[in-house]
Amino acid sequence: MKYFVTIGGREIPVEVKGDRVTVAGREYQAHLAPVPGTPLRQLLLGDRSLTVAMQSGGRGAWRLESRGLRLDLEVVDERTRHIRDLAGPGAGRTGGGQVRSPMPGLVVRLLVEPGETVEAGAGLVVLEAMKMENELRAHGPGRVTAVLVAPGQAVEKGQPLVELAPLST
Amino acid sequence: MPFRVLVANRGEIALRIIRACHEEGLEAIAVYSDADRLSPQVRAADHAVPIGPSPPSESYLRIDRLLEAARRTGASAVHPGYGFLAERAAFAQAVEDAGLVFVGPPARAIRAMGDKTEARRRMQAAGVPIVPGLTVPVTDPDAARRAAAELGFPVLVKAAAGGGGRGMRVVQAPEELAGALETAASEAGKAFGDPAVYLEKYIERPRHVEIQILADRERTVHLGERECSIQRRHQKLVEEAPSVALTPELRQRMGQAAVAAARAVDYRSAGTCEFLLAPDGSFYFLEMNTRIQVEHPVTELVYGVDLVREQLRIAQGLPMRVPATPLAPRGWALECRITSEDPAHGFLPSTGRIEYLRVPAGPGVRWDGGFEVGDEVGLHYDSLLGKVVVWGATREEAVRRMRRALEELVISGVATNQAFHLRLLADDAFLRGEFASQFLDRRPDLLAAQLSDDQMTALAVAAALAEDEARAIRKPVVGDEIAATRWRLAGLWDGLRG
Repeated sequence: MKYFVTIGGREIPVEVKGDRVTVAGREYQAHLAPVPGTPLRQLLLGDRSLTVAMQSGGRGAWRLESRGLRLDLEVVDERTRHIRDLAGPGAGRTGGGQVRSPMPGLVVRLLVEPGETVEAGAGLVVLEAMKMENELRAHGPGRVTAVLVAPGQAVEKGQPLVELAPLST
Repeated sequence: MPFRVLVANRGEIALRIIRACHEEGLEAIAVYSDADRLSPQVRAADHAVPIGPSPPSESYLRIDRLLEAARRTGASAVHPGYGFLAERAAFAQAVEDAGLVFVGPPARAIRAMGDKTEARRRMQAAGVPIVPGLTVPVTDPDAARRAAAELGFPVLVKAAAGGGGRGMRVVQAPEELAGALETAASEAGKAFGDPAVYLEKYIERPRHVEIQILADRERTVHLGERECSIQRRHQKLVEEAPSVALTPELRQRMGQAAVAAARAVDYRSAGTCEFLLAPDGSFYFLEMNTRIQVEHPVTELVYGVDLVREQLRIAQGLPMRVPATPLAPRGWALECRITSEDPAHGFLPSTGRIEYLRVPAGPGVRWDGGFEVGDEVGLHYDSLLGKVVVWGATREEAVRRMRRALEELVISGVATNQAFHLRLLADDAFLRGEFASQFLDRRPDLLAAQLSDDQMTALAVAAALAEDEARAIRKPVVGDEIAATRWRLAGLWDGLRG
């Protein structure tokens, strides 16, 4: 079975045939064994040994943790990928212009108002979590179309905070 | 009546203090908020008392509840740890007034040092060099602008009651000043209950070097320096002892300045004088931290002194067990703070349940942690999960040992800054010891999460194999699977019959 693994914005094709995998143009003997009583799995890739914590999110979503790095990966097979390609780019994505809270926290201050034009990197919202104030910034230039939260409000991870529209050129 | 110590803290420092109590043959009393019912401090202590809901303002910061817990359990002394109420003179005073021993300096020493502007005046009088700046707090932006213009930009806005980087802002230009005052005052108000901030000249490219002090009724000694230059947003991440920047002669001079600072306020117990060390070897007293510090273990490893146990002895009126002859550091110690901050997402706090923990072990490695498997890492408390501390005969050996230890450490369930530490420990400038306090500001490459192609390939294969296996389990095909299915069907029929 051929899989396409998306990791850190890159897509890596991995072909799995029994205990052999082909990746990046090379074939290896590979074995993944669960470590009993832990969320860990031990990977032997050729003679390389690596322990990774793995958690399934269902539907091909996997969260991997290795040396303190937490990575969300997606694994799809060829058929699913093909169907997705036909559906067109961006299909299934929601609110491309929304700035979402990367963590649960408390809104301390709003730095923008609807209608305001912001540059890339401009501060939008100050969020407090773990006693630290964190400034959330715009990824690109845009115009603020909506501010969806108010100071003092508690927000969840992933909650939309601000909506930005791309600047018309 | 046994000497009982109430530990008014949580996390790794609470456990550290409880361990020291037990090694000194003393009983330890833990306190806990609702969120900490099963925390390691409760499990390790001899007694445990609930002190309220999870937010610190309703539990760990409640002097009345802590004193009530002390009264109920017949405590003889209270150890504040660091953070929370550790540097609140009112707390030390309340403990003293209740007839208990505060494991730390007297309330008046905390008061004298805690008010940074007052401390500066006293240090100046005692002949300890200080950074040029205002000696009174500032609130009015216009007055601040005038003062800043006189000092010359950049200036540092700093909480008068602060420490640990909260309520601190570097201001490069006049137009940034008003905003920085507001943010710093707001953070200071929240973190310390006092929004007062003051201004000082910002020394560029200094090292952050601090001197450990220990004082009993008879003597005040210094136990050399700790180098704390590797900081992110004024939060220390890596500390070491000794510092590559100090000669024995400079160590002696800075040590004497720190001892003079401590004597000027009639200090007792463990404390730390922070200095900025400029590239030309001149140094400036910043502030005295009137508590045990997060990074105290590196001093312990190179001086062979257990600072927390000495604090407990001094609190009992016993002399400290530090020889009268000046000590010299032996070998090299490093500490890496492991925090639940995600380097892949700009070091934002990460939350979750600890699913798995493997702590590093082996020669020369110490783990001071404050959580166990099953613990929730929430947003109420500090993000420090634990500290990896290593000792080596040389700095190079200590760095290699730290790398080995960090590769052994596995924390699953929350993202941590472990990968950042591994990148730092492989960096040439760090290995040469060529860094100053703003090192990480100039090296964003070290903060950004990076995966090598090799790592990416391996992780992709792991995910593909796991997905492949999960799919195979979902569709039963041959042999055992069919047998298992028959058993399930048989059970189903039984159920229908029953």
